[in-house]
Amino acid sequence: MSPPLLQVRLAAAYGKRRVLGDVQFDLCRGEALGMVGTSGAGKTTLVMALLGLLPWRGGQVSGEVLIDGANLLTLPAHQARQMRGKRIALVPQSPMTALNAAVSLRSHFEEAWRAHESSGARALEPRLRQLISEVQLPAGDGFLRRKPGQISVGQAQRVLIALALLHRPAILLADEPTSALDPVTQAEIVKLLRQLSQRNGTALLYISHDLLSVLHLCDRLAVLHDGAIVECMSVAHLEQAQHPATLSLLRALPVPVGLLLSHSRTAMDSSARAQDSIELHLSNANREAQREDTHLTAGNLDNPCEEQMRSYSCTH
Amino acid sequence: MKRRIALIALLLLVVGAVLVLRWSPGGYAAQDRDSTMAPFSAQHWTGTDELGRDRTVRVSAALLIGLAGATAAAALTTAIAGCFGLAAAFSPSWVAALLIFLSDVFLSLPWLFLLMMARSLLPLTASPLDTAVATFVVLAALGWPACARVIYRGALALRSAEWMIQGHACGLRTRQLVRLHLLPHLRSLLLPQFLICVPAFIVAEANLGALGLGVGEPLPSWGSMLLELDNSALLARSHWVYLPIALLIIVLLTLESFATEVETHA
Repeated sequence: MSPPLLQVRLAAAYGKRRVLGDVQFDLCRGEALGMVGTSGAGKTTLVMALLGLLPWRGGQVSGEVLIDGANLLTLPAHQARQMRGKRIALVPQSPMTALNAAVSLRSHFEEAWRAHESSGARALEPRLRQLISEVQLPAGDGFLRRKPGQISVGQAQRVLIALALLHRPAILLADEPTSALDPVTQAEIVKLLRQLSQRNGTALLYISHDLLSVLHLCDRLAVLHDGAIVECMSVAHLEQAQHPATLSLLRALPVPVGLLLSHSRTAMDSSARAQDSIELHLSNANREAQREDTHLTAGNLDNPCEEQMRSYSCTH
Repeated sequence: MKRRIALIALLLLVVGAVLVLRWSPGGYAAQDRDSTMAPFSAQHWTGTDELGRDRTVRVSAALLIGLAGATAAAALTTAIAGCFGLAAAFSPSWVAALLIFLSDVFLSLPWLFLLMMARSLLPLTASPLDTAVATFVVLAALGWPACARVIYRGALALRSAEWMIQGHACGLRTRQLVRLHLLPHLRSLLLPQFLICVPAFIVAEANLGALGLGVGEPLPSWGSMLLELDNSALLARSHWVYLPIALLIIVLLTLESFATEVETHA
Protein backbone atom coordinates (compact mmCIF):
# COMPACT_ATOMS: atom_id res chain seq x y z
CA MET A 1 0.00 0.00 0.00
CA SER A 2 1.29 3.43 -0.89
CA PRO A 3 2.13 5.83 1.95
CA PRO A 4 -0.51 8.47 2.80
CA LEU A 5 -0.53 11.61 0.66
CA LEU A 6 -0.77 13.89 3.65
CA GLN A 7 0.53 13.13 7.12
CA VAL A 8 -0.27 15.64 9.80
CA ARG A 9 1.01 15.91 13.34
CA LEU A 10 0.88 19.42 14.66
CA ALA A 11 0.15 21.78 17.53
CA ALA A 12 -0.76 25.44 17.17
CA ALA A 13 -1.07 28.45 19.42
CA TYR A 14 -1.72 32.17 19.30
CA GLY A 15 0.89 33.55 21.65
CA LYS A 16 0.38 31.68 24.90
CA ARG A 17 -3.13 30.53 24.05
CA ARG A 18 -2.93 26.95 22.80
CA VAL A 19 -5.61 26.23 20.18
CA LEU A 20 -4.57 22.89 18.75
CA GLY A 21 -3.02 20.37 21.14
CA ASP A 22 -1.76 17.37 19.22
CA VAL A 23 -3.67 16.89 15.99
CA GLN A 24 -2.71 13.75 14.09
CA PHE A 25 -4.27 12.31 10.98
CA ASP A 26 -3.42 10.91 7.56
CA LEU A 27 -5.10 11.43 4.24
CA CYS A 28 -4.77 8.94 1.41
CA ARG A 29 -5.01 9.47 -2.33
CA GLY A 30 -8.60 10.01 -3.46
CA GLU A 31 -9.97 9.79 0.05
CA ALA A 32 -12.52 12.19 1.54
CA LEU A 33 -12.01 12.89 5.23
CA GLY A 34 -14.57 14.93 7.09
CA MET A 35 -13.43 17.03 10.03
CA VAL A 36 -16.28 18.10 12.26
CA GLY A 37 -16.35 20.13 15.42
CA THR A 38 -18.29 22.88 17.10
CA SER A 39 -17.36 26.53 16.60
CA GLY A 40 -14.15 27.34 18.43
CA ALA A 41 -12.86 23.77 18.20
CA GLY A 42 -9.94 25.05 16.12
CA LYS A 43 -11.12 24.15 12.62
CA THR A 44 -10.04 27.30 10.81
CA THR A 45 -6.79 27.40 12.78
CA LEU A 46 -6.13 23.85 11.56
CA VAL A 47 -6.67 24.90 7.93
CA MET A 48 -4.30 27.83 8.27
CA ALA A 49 -1.75 25.64 10.02
CA LEU A 50 -1.94 22.97 7.30
CA LEU A 51 -1.13 25.55 4.66
CA GLY A 52 1.66 27.06 6.73
CA LEU A 53 -0.22 30.36 6.78
CA LEU A 54 -0.89 30.63 10.50
CA PRO A 55 1.91 33.19 11.02
CA TRP A 56 -0.14 35.63 8.85
CA ARG A 57 -2.88 35.30 11.43
CA GLY A 58 -0.46 35.85 14.29
CA GLY A 59 -0.21 32.19 15.32
CA GLN A 60 2.61 29.68 15.70
CA VAL A 61 2.68 26.06 14.54
CA SER A 62 4.92 23.24 15.62
CA GLY A 63 5.05 19.70 14.30
CA GLU A 64 4.88 18.56 10.71
CA VAL A 65 2.62 18.62 7.68
CA LEU A 66 4.13 16.04 5.33
CA ILE A 67 3.10 16.30 1.69
CA ASP A 68 4.96 13.85 -0.58
CA GLY A 69 7.38 13.39 2.30
CA ALA A 70 8.29 17.11 2.52
CA ASN A 71 7.39 19.06 5.63
CA LEU A 72 5.48 22.14 4.50
CA LEU A 73 6.12 23.87 7.83
CA THR A 74 9.91 23.75 7.63
CA LEU A 75 10.38 24.18 3.88
CA PRO A 76 12.05 27.41 2.73
CA ALA A 77 9.44 30.08 1.98
CA HIS A 78 9.72 29.84 -1.82
CA GLN A 79 9.35 26.05 -1.82
CA ALA A 80 6.37 26.21 0.52
CA ARG A 81 4.81 28.73 -1.85
CA GLN A 82 5.27 26.32 -4.74
CA MET A 83 3.34 23.69 -2.77
CA ARG A 84 0.39 25.94 -2.04
CA GLY A 85 -2.08 26.06 -4.88
CA LYS A 86 -0.16 23.38 -6.79
CA ARG A 87 -0.17 20.37 -4.45
CA ILE A 88 -2.52 21.54 -1.72
CA ALA A 89 -5.32 24.03 -2.36
CA LEU A 90 -7.95 25.77 -0.28
CA VAL A 91 -11.66 26.39 -0.70
CA PRO A 92 -12.30 29.05 1.94
CA GLN A 93 -15.19 29.67 4.28
CA SER A 94 -16.57 33.04 3.19
CA PRO A 95 -16.58 33.33 -0.60
CA MET A 96 -17.35 37.03 -0.73
CA THR A 97 -14.42 38.19 1.37
CA ALA A 98 -11.98 35.66 -0.07
CA LEU A 99 -12.11 37.33 -3.49
CA ASN A 100 -10.52 40.73 -3.92
CA ALA A 101 -13.35 43.13 -4.70
CA ALA A 102 -11.08 45.48 -6.63
CA VAL A 103 -9.99 42.87 -9.20
CA SER A 104 -11.88 41.00 -11.94
CA LEU A 105 -12.46 37.26 -11.73
CA ARG A 106 -10.22 36.72 -14.74
CA SER A 107 -7.32 38.48 -13.00
CA HIS A 108 -7.73 36.11 -10.05
CA PHE A 109 -7.29 33.15 -12.39
CA GLU A 110 -4.46 34.72 -14.38
CA GLU A 111 -2.39 35.52 -11.31
CA ALA A 112 -3.00 32.11 -9.77
CA TRP A 113 -1.96 30.55 -13.10
CA ARG A 114 1.18 32.66 -13.34
CA ALA A 115 2.16 31.69 -9.78
CA HIS A 116 2.90 28.10 -10.87
CA GLU A 117 3.04 28.09 -14.68
CA SER A 118 5.52 29.83 -16.89
CA SER A 119 3.66 28.85 -20.07
CA GLY A 120 1.78 32.15 -20.24
CA ALA A 121 -1.84 33.14 -20.61
CA ARG A 122 -2.48 31.13 -23.78
CA ALA A 123 -2.24 27.79 -21.97
CA LEU A 124 -4.66 29.07 -19.36
CA GLU A 125 -7.59 29.48 -21.77
CA PRO A 126 -8.46 25.81 -22.41
CA ARG A 127 -7.97 24.95 -18.73
CA LEU A 128 -10.15 27.86 -17.69
CA ARG A 129 -12.95 26.87 -20.09
CA GLN A 130 -12.83 23.31 -18.78
CA LEU A 131 -12.92 24.47 -15.15
CA ILE A 132 -15.78 26.88 -15.71
CA SER A 133 -17.90 24.10 -17.16
CA GLU A 134 -16.84 21.67 -14.39
CA VAL A 135 -18.02 23.98 -11.65
CA GLN A 136 -21.10 24.93 -13.72
CA LEU A 137 -20.48 28.65 -14.03
CA PRO A 138 -21.78 30.66 -17.00
CA ALA A 139 -19.53 30.16 -20.01
CA GLY A 140 -18.29 33.13 -21.98
CA ASP A 141 -15.90 35.95 -21.36
CA GLY A 142 -18.51 38.33 -19.97
CA PHE A 143 -18.75 36.46 -16.71
CA LEU A 144 -15.01 36.43 -16.03
CA ARG A 145 -14.82 40.16 -16.68
CA ARG A 146 -17.05 40.80 -13.69
CA LYS A 147 -15.77 41.79 -10.29
CA PRO A 148 -16.60 39.74 -7.18
CA GLY A 149 -19.23 42.25 -6.11
CA GLN A 150 -21.22 41.56 -9.27
CA ILE A 151 -21.80 37.83 -8.74
CA SER A 152 -23.86 35.86 -6.24
CA VAL A 153 -22.40 34.13 -3.18
CA GLY A 154 -23.00 30.71 -4.72
CA GLN A 155 -21.19 31.74 -7.88
CA ALA A 156 -18.33 33.17 -5.81
CA GLN A 157 -17.97 29.81 -4.04
CA ARG A 158 -17.87 28.05 -7.43
CA VAL A 159 -15.23 30.51 -8.60
CA LEU A 160 -13.16 29.69 -5.51
CA ILE A 161 -13.54 25.96 -6.13
CA ALA A 162 -12.40 26.48 -9.72
CA LEU A 163 -9.50 28.59 -8.46
CA ALA A 164 -8.50 25.83 -6.03
CA LEU A 165 -8.68 23.18 -8.77
CA LEU A 166 -6.76 25.25 -11.32
CA HIS A 167 -3.48 23.35 -10.97
CA ARG A 168 -5.11 19.96 -10.29
CA PRO A 169 -3.92 19.76 -6.66
CA ALA A 170 -3.55 16.36 -5.02
CA ILE A 171 -5.15 17.65 -1.82
CA LEU A 172 -8.13 19.93 -1.50
CA LEU A 173 -8.87 21.62 1.83
CA ALA A 174 -12.46 22.79 2.11
CA ASP A 175 -12.97 25.02 5.14
CA GLU A 176 -16.72 25.11 5.78
CA PRO A 177 -17.34 25.86 2.10
CA THR A 178 -21.11 25.83 2.51
CA SER A 179 -21.57 27.85 5.68
CA ALA A 180 -22.32 31.11 3.87
CA LEU A 181 -24.77 29.55 1.42
CA ASP A 182 -28.50 28.86 1.33
CA PRO A 183 -29.59 25.20 1.65
CA VAL A 184 -30.16 24.65 -2.07
CA THR A 185 -26.78 26.04 -3.02
CA GLN A 186 -25.21 24.13 -0.12
CA ALA A 187 -26.49 20.88 -1.56
CA GLU A 188 -25.23 21.80 -5.02
CA ILE A 189 -21.77 22.68 -3.76
CA VAL A 190 -21.50 19.46 -1.73
CA LYS A 191 -22.54 17.46 -4.78
CA LEU A 192 -20.03 19.33 -6.90
CA LEU A 193 -17.19 18.66 -4.45
CA ARG A 194 -18.08 14.97 -4.36
CA GLN A 195 -18.15 14.70 -8.14
CA LEU A 196 -14.88 16.54 -8.53
CA SER A 197 -13.01 14.53 -5.94
CA GLN A 198 -14.32 11.27 -7.40
CA ARG A 199 -13.54 12.26 -10.98
CA ASN A 200 -10.05 13.65 -10.38
CA GLY A 201 -8.99 11.41 -7.51
CA THR A 202 -8.32 14.48 -5.40
CA ALA A 203 -7.98 13.83 -1.70
CA LEU A 204 -10.47 15.98 0.16
CA LEU A 205 -10.26 17.30 3.70
CA TYR A 206 -13.73 18.62 4.30
CA ILE A 207 -13.98 20.74 7.42
CA SER A 208 -17.44 21.61 8.63
CA HIS A 209 -19.76 21.94 11.57
CA ASP A 210 -22.50 20.53 9.38
CA LEU A 211 -22.47 16.80 10.07
CA LEU A 212 -25.14 16.16 7.44
CA SER A 213 -23.01 17.32 4.54
CA VAL A 214 -20.02 15.42 5.92
CA LEU A 215 -22.06 12.20 5.98
CA HIS A 216 -22.87 12.71 2.32
CA LEU A 217 -19.44 13.61 1.17
CA CYS A 218 -16.90 11.71 3.20
CA ASP A 219 -15.57 8.21 3.70
CA ARG A 220 -14.07 8.88 7.10
CA LEU A 221 -14.93 11.28 9.86
CA ALA A 222 -12.69 12.92 12.46
CA VAL A 223 -14.11 14.84 15.39
CA LEU A 224 -12.17 17.87 16.52
CA HIS A 225 -12.87 18.90 20.07
CA ASP A 226 -10.93 21.38 22.21
CA GLY A 227 -8.00 21.35 19.83
CA ALA A 228 -7.56 17.60 19.56
CA ILE A 229 -8.98 14.85 17.39
CA VAL A 230 -11.02 12.81 19.84
CA GLU A 231 -12.48 10.25 17.49
CA CYS A 232 -11.75 9.15 13.94
CA MET A 233 -13.81 6.48 12.24
CA SER A 234 -15.39 5.35 9.02
CA VAL A 235 -18.68 7.12 8.33
CA ALA A 236 -20.38 3.74 7.96
CA HIS A 237 -19.49 2.89 11.58
CA LEU A 238 -20.67 6.18 12.99
CA GLU A 239 -23.31 4.49 15.11
CA GLN A 240 -20.53 2.98 17.23
CA ALA A 241 -19.20 6.41 18.22
CA GLN A 242 -18.34 6.67 21.90
CA HIS A 243 -16.77 10.01 22.68
CA PRO A 244 -19.16 12.54 24.31
CA ALA A 245 -18.24 15.23 21.73
CA THR A 246 -19.18 12.92 18.86
CA LEU A 247 -22.35 11.87 20.59
CA SER A 248 -23.44 15.44 21.18
CA LEU A 249 -22.84 16.20 17.50
CA LEU A 250 -24.93 13.17 16.55
CA ARG A 251 -27.66 14.22 18.95
CA ALA A 252 -27.84 17.60 17.23
CA LEU A 253 -28.85 15.89 13.97
CA PRO A 254 -32.50 16.35 13.00
CA VAL A 255 -32.90 12.57 12.49
CA PRO A 256 -31.14 9.64 14.16
CA VAL A 257 -27.88 8.79 12.47
CA GLY A 258 -28.86 5.22 11.67
CA LEU A 259 -31.77 6.39 9.58
CA LEU A 260 -29.56 8.93 7.85
CA LEU A 261 -26.96 6.37 6.92
CA SER A 262 -29.54 3.95 5.55
CA HIS A 263 -30.99 6.85 3.53
CA SER A 264 -27.56 7.66 2.21
CA ARG A 265 -26.90 4.05 1.30
CA THR A 266 -30.12 3.68 -0.63
CA ALA A 267 -29.43 7.02 -2.23
CA MET A 268 -26.00 5.89 -3.35
CA ASP A 269 -27.55 2.87 -4.99
CA SER A 270 -30.12 4.87 -6.88
CA SER A 271 -29.61 7.61 -9.42
CA ALA A 272 -27.89 10.94 -8.90
CA ARG A 273 -31.25 12.64 -9.11
CA ALA A 274 -32.43 10.76 -6.07
CA GLN A 275 -29.29 11.79 -4.18
CA ASP A 276 -30.04 15.41 -4.90
CA SER A 277 -33.57 15.17 -3.65
CA ILE A 278 -32.42 13.60 -0.42
CA GLU A 279 -29.76 16.20 0.04
CA LEU A 280 -32.29 18.93 -0.46
CA HIS A 281 -34.66 17.16 1.81
CA LEU A 282 -32.10 16.87 4.56
CA SER A 283 -30.99 20.46 4.21
CA ASN A 284 -34.55 21.57 4.49
CA ALA A 285 -35.06 19.35 7.51
CA ASN A 286 -31.98 20.87 9.04
CA ARG A 287 -33.28 24.34 8.45
CA GLU A 288 -36.67 23.44 9.82
CA ALA A 289 -34.98 22.01 12.88
CA GLN A 290 -33.27 25.30 13.57
CA ARG A 291 -36.54 27.11 13.17
CA GLU A 292 -38.30 24.69 15.48
CA ASP A 293 -35.65 25.17 18.15
CA THR A 294 -36.56 28.81 18.52
CA HIS A 295 -40.32 28.58 18.66
CA LEU A 296 -42.14 25.31 18.95
CA THR A 297 -45.37 26.11 17.17
CA ALA A 298 -47.69 23.46 15.83
CA GLY A 299 -47.51 23.27 12.07
CA ASN A 300 -48.72 20.88 9.42
CA LEU A 301 -46.71 17.71 9.65
CA ASP A 302 -46.73 16.63 6.03
CA ASN A 303 -42.98 16.15 6.03
CA PRO A 304 -42.01 12.74 7.45
CA CYS A 305 -38.51 13.92 8.31
CA GLU A 306 -39.89 16.86 10.18
CA GLU A 307 -42.26 14.63 12.06
CA GLN A 308 -39.45 12.34 13.08
CA MET A 309 -37.40 15.29 14.19
CA ARG A 310 -40.26 16.55 16.27
CA SER A 311 -40.64 13.30 18.15
CA TYR A 312 -36.87 13.17 18.46
CA SER A 313 -36.61 16.57 20.07
CA CYS A 314 -39.44 15.65 22.43
CA THR A 315 -37.74 12.54 23.74
CA HIS A 316 -34.38 14.27 24.26
CA MET B 1 -18.47 69.40 -9.41
CA LYS B 2 -16.20 71.24 -6.96
CA ARG B 3 -13.41 68.97 -8.05
CA ARG B 4 -13.94 70.01 -11.66
CA ILE B 5 -13.99 73.73 -10.77
CA ALA B 6 -10.71 73.39 -8.84
CA LEU B 7 -9.15 71.46 -11.71
CA ILE B 8 -10.28 74.03 -14.32
CA ALA B 9 -9.01 76.93 -12.18
CA LEU B 10 -5.63 75.25 -11.83
CA LEU B 11 -5.49 74.48 -15.54
CA LEU B 12 -6.31 78.11 -16.43
CA LEU B 13 -3.55 79.36 -14.13
CA VAL B 14 -1.01 76.99 -15.68
CA VAL B 15 -2.02 77.77 -19.27
CA GLY B 16 -1.97 81.50 -18.51
CA ALA B 17 1.50 81.22 -16.99
CA VAL B 18 2.81 79.28 -19.98
CA LEU B 19 1.39 81.82 -22.44
CA VAL B 20 2.87 84.74 -20.47
CA LEU B 21 6.29 83.08 -20.52
CA ARG B 22 6.06 82.36 -24.27
CA TRP B 23 5.09 85.91 -25.17
CA SER B 24 7.49 87.68 -22.82
CA PRO B 25 10.22 89.35 -24.90
CA GLY B 26 13.13 88.85 -22.51
CA GLY B 27 12.24 85.97 -20.23
CA TYR B 28 12.17 85.92 -16.45
CA ALA B 29 15.74 87.17 -16.01
CA ALA B 30 15.63 90.18 -18.39
CA GLN B 31 16.32 93.41 -16.53
CA ASP B 32 14.84 96.74 -17.62
CA ARG B 33 17.26 99.08 -15.81
CA ASP B 34 15.31 102.18 -16.90
CA SER B 35 12.23 101.20 -14.92
CA THR B 36 13.15 99.52 -11.63
CA MET B 37 10.48 99.20 -8.99
CA ALA B 38 8.02 100.53 -11.55
CA PRO B 39 4.26 100.53 -10.95
CA PHE B 40 1.75 99.62 -13.68
CA SER B 41 2.81 100.57 -17.21
CA ALA B 42 1.91 99.49 -20.74
CA GLN B 43 5.21 97.63 -20.96
CA HIS B 44 5.06 96.00 -17.52
CA TRP B 45 1.42 95.35 -16.62
CA THR B 46 2.07 94.50 -13.01
CA GLY B 47 5.21 96.55 -12.58
CA THR B 48 8.82 95.49 -12.03
CA ASP B 49 11.04 94.54 -9.11
CA GLU B 50 14.19 96.20 -7.77
CA LEU B 51 16.20 95.01 -10.74
CA GLY B 52 13.56 96.04 -13.28
CA ARG B 53 12.38 92.49 -14.02
CA ASP B 54 8.78 92.10 -15.18
CA ARG B 55 6.58 90.88 -12.33
CA THR B 56 3.99 89.10 -14.51
CA VAL B 57 6.66 87.01 -16.16
CA ARG B 58 8.41 86.21 -12.91
CA VAL B 59 5.28 85.23 -11.04
CA SER B 60 4.24 82.99 -13.97
CA ALA B 61 7.59 81.25 -13.93
CA ALA B 62 7.45 80.90 -10.14
CA LEU B 63 4.01 79.31 -10.40
CA LEU B 64 5.17 76.75 -12.95
CA ILE B 65 8.43 75.94 -11.15
CA GLY B 66 6.69 75.65 -7.79
CA LEU B 67 3.93 73.45 -9.16
CA ALA B 68 6.22 71.19 -11.18
CA GLY B 69 8.77 70.84 -8.39
CA ALA B 70 6.16 70.21 -5.70
CA THR B 71 4.34 67.64 -7.86
CA ALA B 72 7.55 65.77 -8.60
CA ALA B 73 8.61 65.90 -4.95
CA ALA B 74 5.16 64.73 -3.83
CA ALA B 75 5.29 61.80 -6.27
CA LEU B 76 8.76 60.89 -5.03
CA THR B 77 7.86 61.13 -1.35
CA THR B 78 4.64 59.11 -1.85
CA ALA B 79 6.62 56.43 -3.69
CA ILE B 80 9.21 56.29 -0.90
CA ALA B 81 6.47 56.16 1.73
CA GLY B 82 4.63 53.42 -0.18
CA CYS B 83 7.73 51.24 -0.52
CA PHE B 84 8.72 51.85 3.09
CA GLY B 85 5.25 51.18 4.50
CA LEU B 86 4.84 48.00 2.45
CA ALA B 87 8.31 46.77 3.38
CA ALA B 88 7.54 47.30 7.05
CA ALA B 89 4.13 45.63 6.83
CA PHE B 90 5.49 42.52 5.09
CA SER B 91 8.67 42.05 7.12
CA PRO B 92 9.14 40.05 10.30
CA SER B 93 8.05 42.06 13.31
CA TRP B 94 11.56 43.01 14.40
CA VAL B 95 12.38 44.45 10.95
CA ALA B 96 9.09 46.34 11.00
CA ALA B 97 9.95 47.76 14.44
CA LEU B 98 13.35 48.84 13.14
CA LEU B 99 11.86 50.52 10.08
CA ILE B 100 9.25 52.34 12.13
CA PHE B 101 11.97 53.50 14.51
CA LEU B 102 13.87 54.79 11.49
CA SER B 103 10.86 56.81 10.42
CA ASP B 104 10.60 58.13 14.00
CA VAL B 105 14.21 59.27 13.77
CA PHE B 106 13.43 61.04 10.51
CA LEU B 107 10.41 62.72 12.03
CA SER B 108 12.40 64.00 14.99
CA LEU B 109 15.28 65.44 12.94
CA PRO B 110 15.60 69.24 13.07
CA TRP B 111 14.86 69.47 9.37
CA LEU B 112 15.32 73.23 8.96
CA PHE B 113 18.82 72.91 10.29
CA LEU B 114 19.44 69.96 8.00
CA LEU B 115 18.19 71.90 5.02
CA MET B 116 20.57 74.72 5.82
CA MET B 117 23.39 72.17 6.06
CA ALA B 118 22.38 70.51 2.82
CA ARG B 119 22.21 73.84 1.03
CA SER B 120 25.54 74.95 2.43
CA LEU B 121 27.09 71.78 1.08
CA LEU B 122 26.11 72.88 -2.43
CA PRO B 123 28.95 74.91 -3.97
CA LEU B 124 28.25 78.62 -4.38
CA THR B 125 28.71 78.18 -8.11
CA ALA B 126 25.85 75.71 -8.27
CA SER B 127 23.50 76.56 -11.10
CA PRO B 128 20.02 77.91 -10.18
CA LEU B 129 18.48 74.77 -11.65
CA ASP B 130 20.62 72.57 -9.37
CA THR B 131 19.48 74.54 -6.33
CA ALA B 132 15.84 74.09 -7.40
CA VAL B 133 16.30 70.34 -7.84
CA ALA B 134 18.18 70.07 -4.54
CA THR B 135 15.46 71.98 -2.69
CA PHE B 136 12.66 69.75 -3.90
CA VAL B 137 14.63 66.52 -3.47
CA VAL B 138 15.39 67.48 0.12
CA LEU B 139 11.70 68.24 0.68
CA ALA B 140 10.77 64.82 -0.73
CA ALA B 141 13.42 63.13 1.39
CA LEU B 142 12.00 64.74 4.53
CA GLY B 143 8.33 64.39 3.71
CA TRP B 144 7.88 60.62 3.63
CA PRO B 145 7.93 59.39 7.27
CA ALA B 146 4.49 60.62 8.31
CA CYS B 147 3.03 59.29 5.07
CA ALA B 148 4.88 55.96 5.46
CA ARG B 149 3.20 55.43 8.82
CA VAL B 150 -0.23 55.80 7.22
CA ILE B 151 0.67 53.32 4.46
CA TYR B 152 2.14 50.89 7.01
CA ARG B 153 -1.06 50.92 9.07
CA GLY B 154 -3.18 50.46 5.94
CA ALA B 155 -1.05 47.61 4.58
CA LEU B 156 -1.05 45.93 7.99
CA ALA B 157 -4.84 45.85 7.98
CA LEU B 158 -4.90 44.52 4.42
CA ARG B 159 -2.21 41.92 5.16
CA SER B 160 -4.53 39.72 7.19
CA ALA B 161 -7.59 40.26 4.94
CA GLU B 162 -9.33 37.09 3.79
CA TRP B 163 -8.46 37.65 0.16
CA MET B 164 -4.80 38.06 1.04
CA ILE B 165 -4.86 34.73 2.86
CA GLN B 166 -6.61 33.24 -0.17
CA GLY B 167 -3.88 34.71 -2.38
CA HIS B 168 -1.25 33.02 -0.23
CA ALA B 169 -3.20 29.77 -0.38
CA CYS B 170 -3.13 30.01 -4.19
CA GLY B 171 0.64 30.22 -3.94
CA LEU B 172 0.95 33.76 -5.26
CA ARG B 173 4.41 35.32 -5.04
CA THR B 174 4.81 38.31 -2.73
CA ARG B 175 5.19 40.71 -5.63
CA GLN B 176 2.02 39.34 -7.23
CA LEU B 177 0.19 39.86 -3.95
CA VAL B 178 1.41 43.43 -3.72
CA ARG B 179 0.62 44.31 -7.32
CA LEU B 180 -2.69 42.50 -7.69
CA HIS B 181 -4.12 42.70 -4.22
CA LEU B 182 -2.53 45.55 -2.30
CA LEU B 183 -1.96 48.40 -4.71
CA PRO B 184 -5.61 48.72 -5.84
CA HIS B 185 -6.60 48.99 -2.19
CA LEU B 186 -3.71 51.24 -1.17
CA ARG B 187 -4.59 53.65 -3.97
CA SER B 188 -7.24 55.20 -1.74
CA LEU B 189 -4.48 55.93 0.79
CA LEU B 190 -1.70 56.92 -1.61
CA LEU B 191 -3.66 59.33 -3.80
CA PRO B 192 -4.82 61.67 -0.98
CA GLN B 193 -1.32 61.56 0.51
CA PHE B 194 0.10 62.65 -2.81
CA LEU B 195 -2.47 65.40 -3.30
CA ILE B 196 -1.92 66.77 0.22
CA CYS B 197 1.85 66.77 -0.25
CA VAL B 198 1.72 69.05 -3.32
CA PRO B 199 0.43 72.22 -1.58
CA ALA B 200 2.47 71.38 1.53
CA PHE B 201 5.66 71.32 -0.54
CA ILE B 202 4.75 74.57 -2.31
CA VAL B 203 4.40 76.26 1.07
CA ALA B 204 7.60 74.64 2.33
CA GLU B 205 9.49 75.90 -0.72
CA ALA B 206 8.03 79.39 -0.22
CA ASN B 207 9.16 79.40 3.42
CA LEU B 208 12.62 78.15 2.55
CA GLY B 209 12.89 80.69 -0.27
CA ALA B 210 11.96 83.50 2.12
CA LEU B 211 14.89 82.36 4.30
CA GLY B 212 17.15 82.41 1.27
CA LEU B 213 17.48 78.61 1.27
CA GLY B 214 15.22 77.80 -1.64
CA VAL B 215 15.55 78.10 -5.38
CA GLY B 216 18.56 80.25 -6.33
CA GLU B 217 18.44 83.52 -8.25
CA PRO B 218 17.82 84.44 -10.99
CA LEU B 219 15.29 81.58 -11.13
CA PRO B 220 12.06 82.98 -9.72
CA SER B 221 10.19 81.13 -6.95
CA TRP B 222 7.39 81.85 -4.55
CA GLY B 223 9.94 82.32 -1.79
CA SER B 224 12.06 84.93 -3.56
CA MET B 225 8.92 86.72 -4.81
CA LEU B 226 7.51 86.93 -1.28
CA LEU B 227 10.84 88.32 -0.10
CA GLU B 228 9.91 91.55 -1.84
CA LEU B 229 7.24 92.09 0.78
CA ASP B 230 9.81 93.20 3.35
CA ASN B 231 10.95 96.04 1.08
CA SER B 232 8.93 99.00 2.43
CA ALA B 233 10.01 101.31 -0.39
CA LEU B 234 8.54 98.87 -2.91
CA LEU B 235 5.36 98.40 -0.88
CA ALA B 236 4.73 102.15 -0.96
CA ARG B 237 5.23 102.36 -4.72
CA SER B 238 2.78 99.76 -6.02
CA HIS B 239 0.04 97.42 -4.84
CA TRP B 240 1.16 94.87 -7.45
CA VAL B 241 3.79 93.71 -4.95
CA TYR B 242 0.98 91.70 -3.39
CA LEU B 243 0.30 89.81 -6.62
CA PRO B 244 2.61 86.83 -5.83
CA ILE B 245 1.14 86.20 -2.40
CA ALA B 246 -2.41 86.53 -3.72
CA LEU B 247 -1.68 84.04 -6.51
CA LEU B 248 0.07 81.68 -4.08
CA ILE B 249 -3.02 81.66 -1.88
CA ILE B 250 -5.25 80.96 -4.89
CA VAL B 251 -3.04 78.10 -6.06
CA LEU B 252 -2.92 76.56 -2.59
CA LEU B 253 -6.66 76.93 -2.20
CA THR B 254 -7.42 75.13 -5.46
CA LEU B 255 -4.94 72.35 -4.63
CA GLU B 256 -6.31 71.90 -1.11
CA SER B 257 -9.93 71.85 -2.19
CA PHE B 258 -9.10 69.40 -4.99
CA ALA B 259 -7.37 67.11 -2.48
CA THR B 260 -10.32 67.34 -0.09
CA GLU B 261 -12.80 66.55 -2.86
CA VAL B 262 -10.81 63.54 -4.04
CA GLU B 263 -10.48 62.27 -0.49
CA THR B 264 -14.19 62.53 0.28
CA HIS B 265 -15.28 60.97 -3.00
CA ALA B 266 -12.57 58.31 -3.21
